[in-house]
Amino acid sequence: MTAEEIQAIFFAECEESLEAAEQGLAACRDGTQDSDTVNAVFRAVHSIKGGAGAFGYIALQGFTHTFETLLSDVRDGTVPITEPLIDLMLGGLDTLSDHVTAARDSGEPPEDAALQAEMTAAMAANAGAAPAAPVAAAPPPPAPAPEPEKAEVADSSGDDFDFDFDLDALLDDISDDMAPAAVAPEARWQVRVRPHAAAMRNGSEPLLMLREMSELGGVCELCDISSIPPLDGFDVGTGYLGWAFSFPASVGEDAVRDIFDFVGDDCSLAFGAQADMPQVQYPEPPVPIAPVATAPIAVPVAAPVAAMVQSPASAVPAPVEAPLAPDPELARTGSAPPAPPAPGQSIRIELGKLDKLIDAVGELVIAQAMMAQRLADQGLAVAEDMTMIEGLTRDIQESAMAIRAQPIGSVFSRVPRILRELASSTGKHVKLEVSGETTELDKTVIERLGEPLTHLIRNAVDHGIEQADERIAAGKPAEGTLTLSAEHRSGRILIRIGDDGKGIDRERVFAKAVEKGLISPDTVMSKEEIDLLIFAPGFSTAQTVTNVSGRGVGMDVVRQNVKDLGGRITIDSEPGKGTTFTLTLPLTLAISDGMVVNVGDQTLVVPLANVVESLRPEPNEVQGLGASRCMINVRGRFIPVIPLSQSVGAAGACTDPRDGVLIVVETEGAGRAALLVDAICDQRQVVIKSLDTHYRSVEGVAGATILGDGRVALIVDVDSLVSRSLASAGGNSPLAEAA
Amino acid sequence: MSSVTPSITLPARCDRAAAEALLPEMIAALGSGPLRIDARECQHIGQAMLQLLVSARQTGEGAVIEPSQTLRDVAQLTGLGEELFSGIHA
Repeated sequence: MTAEEIQAIFFAECEESLEAAEQGLAACRDGTQDSDTVNAVFRAVHSIKGGAGAFGYIALQGFTHTFETLLSDVRDGTVPITEPLIDLMLGGLDTLSDHVTAARDSGEPPEDAALQAEMTAAMAANAGAAPAAPVAAAPPPPAPAPEPEKAEVADSSGDDFDFDFDLDALLDDISDDMAPAAVAPEARWQVRVRPHAAAMRNGSEPLLMLREMSELGGVCELCDISSIPPLDGFDVGTGYLGWAFSFPASVGEDAVRDIFDFVGDDCSLAFGAQADMPQVQYPEPPVPIAPVATAPIAVPVAAPVAAMVQSPASAVPAPVEAPLAPDPELARTGSAPPAPPAPGQSIRIELGKLDKLIDAVGELVIAQAMMAQRLADQGLAVAEDMTMIEGLTRDIQESAMAIRAQPIGSVFSRVPRILRELASSTGKHVKLEVSGETTELDKTVIERLGEPLTHLIRNAVDHGIEQADERIAAGKPAEGTLTLSAEHRSGRILIRIGDDGKGIDRERVFAKAVEKGLISPDTVMSKEEIDLLIFAPGFSTAQTVTNVSGRGVGMDVVRQNVKDLGGRITIDSEPGKGTTFTLTLPLTLAISDGMVVNVGDQTLVVPLANVVESLRPEPNEVQGLGASRCMINVRGRFIPVIPLSQSVGAAGACTDPRDGVLIVVETEGAGRAALLVDAICDQRQVVIKSLDTHYRSVEGVAGATILGDGRVALIVDVDSLVSRSLASAGGNSPLAEAA
Repeated sequence: MSSVTPSITLPARCDRAAAEALLPEMIAALGSGPLRIDARECQHIGQAMLQLLVSARQTGEGAVIEPSQTLRDVAQLTGLGEELFSGIHA
């Protein structure tokens, strides 16, 4: 594993930690302030700190250190959890998130001096205000001498940073000079640490943990080198060392355990002076090096034996000697002590590998369809076998897609931060209600969902939700509510972003659209059509351009993003009650349901997402309009008929709607239209191949797929095709060049 | 005994990769007297190199290590000061 890969894992874990911390703090704010919750936040921040130190991100490490110290006080109950404190910690989390981003992108770390000062003040204020606190809480029996000094420093200097550093210096004092004199030897307790043999292969560097222990006041009493083989049997990737460290009684066992959080089950710990050194744990199967392999239960070090260090020359043969009989007690204490967490329930996979798998599965689906078609052409009756293969192929495909699926919660979890930032810039406090956050969809979709979602939320808070006084006047609670929900519906995912604000002011939107020249003043528009105007490029009703919104790029971009994802966006707004945006998205971008149609000598695929219905028109339902256009009356509503053959340039296609089949499609930009095709052949899942990567982008074409008979069929981009065709009545053939 | 004491110089960054590279050199130098290891440039050291040094000290005729301050600090931290630099070999 390279350093880059390990770093990538670290950052992935940072994301998880940040999410966990966010959840923990949210729970705190909602009243769940038990030790588990606080501990979860502490651990999250702590594990980021551990990694930051390991990879040398100084700024990140510095900030997490301050944050962690505050959290440690909170955890120990020396700093009470109050509303302002939670806000402070949430602010800290936001900055921490920025720090992580800066570290990952090698960017400039955020300005955090003021926040750090505030955090330090939160701890210092407590220490100064309640000198009796340590006595009251009093978990460490011999309250160490530095306590009064601490208060003194806080009082005298008033500079929070000095205070912080002095504390560190004091800690050093404890471990270096004062330890032998002030703290009696019996006041120290011991822990034995044994990184597993394969820990270094997993990317951990045990010495970093040792350094942290030392910073905590730990002193190395003993290093077990008995497992180290001579050079000719030496394996660089195997860890051979174990240590015994002693700590002053004022340091808790938990603090030491926390250090090892980051390495998970790569390390055995044994607490207590009587505990034995945990045995070296080898991965299975054991490393195939003779002296190492013989020593899996090797040479346990009795507690006070410092002997292994005294005579290196004589120690040489020790590791190769016959292994001691496994002592049952040793075996118990050796491998069991702090019950390492259960082996991981998940693994991390490089995304590229997964994409390859999905690609291969796509090819498999195509190959299977081709074979089925060929067998059918030959008139071979192997229906049963084919059905089985088809079923299996579909299973594999679903499982492969499921691997890429992620809960949408990872996107939703960013929302609280967005709301906090909006609250500080707009003064509107918004309550968030989330449901369906476990709904899963493809990772690619998730990744590209963040931006449109952010825009919609900003829009909802900035334009939708009113100021508190306005809300109260309207008989609503002062605090606005933003509702986020996600659910699966017939193979697609529905995401709703709703606010309880003032709704869309349609008169103003209409006036603004006229003013911008988007529509003429005498246009007759339905309520829904007016609502859709807010997606027009350059449209904004905001009186002033704020840094939140008002530049008129947001909603346009939102619609484009959603469209790029193969989805649709609809608005449901009620004046005075609020607005809900509904995003309908495909679960994946790799496979789509499509209707396979024939147009002359061409076969095309119309995405099912756009299809409303298909029909064979009665002669009297179709009405000509001018020379070449016609409309069809569908239950009293006239919609334009667009012959697909015109766009494709297909030869021999039927041109009279009465001879063919009409597929009624719904589009974002141009409402409904009816596509005229010769026949509908099939409705099936198609594996989408990008035309951009294999050829070039062609307007009106969303991609291509390979049909069962090996032919390539273009997938129609219904939106652009319809708007283009309607714009240039009887227009040119965008598809013809690609076909 | 060869007349020239075999000598190996450690790089500034003594990580696992460095240990990987030096192990064959150390094995090749076995049998020609105590190994001289120049670690005066060493600015960073990980467990892999640390235990390799211990192994080198224990193998054959041992090794003499000239440490940098960093290496001394790490040895102190890990309780290996005596083991790595004790007078018998120095």
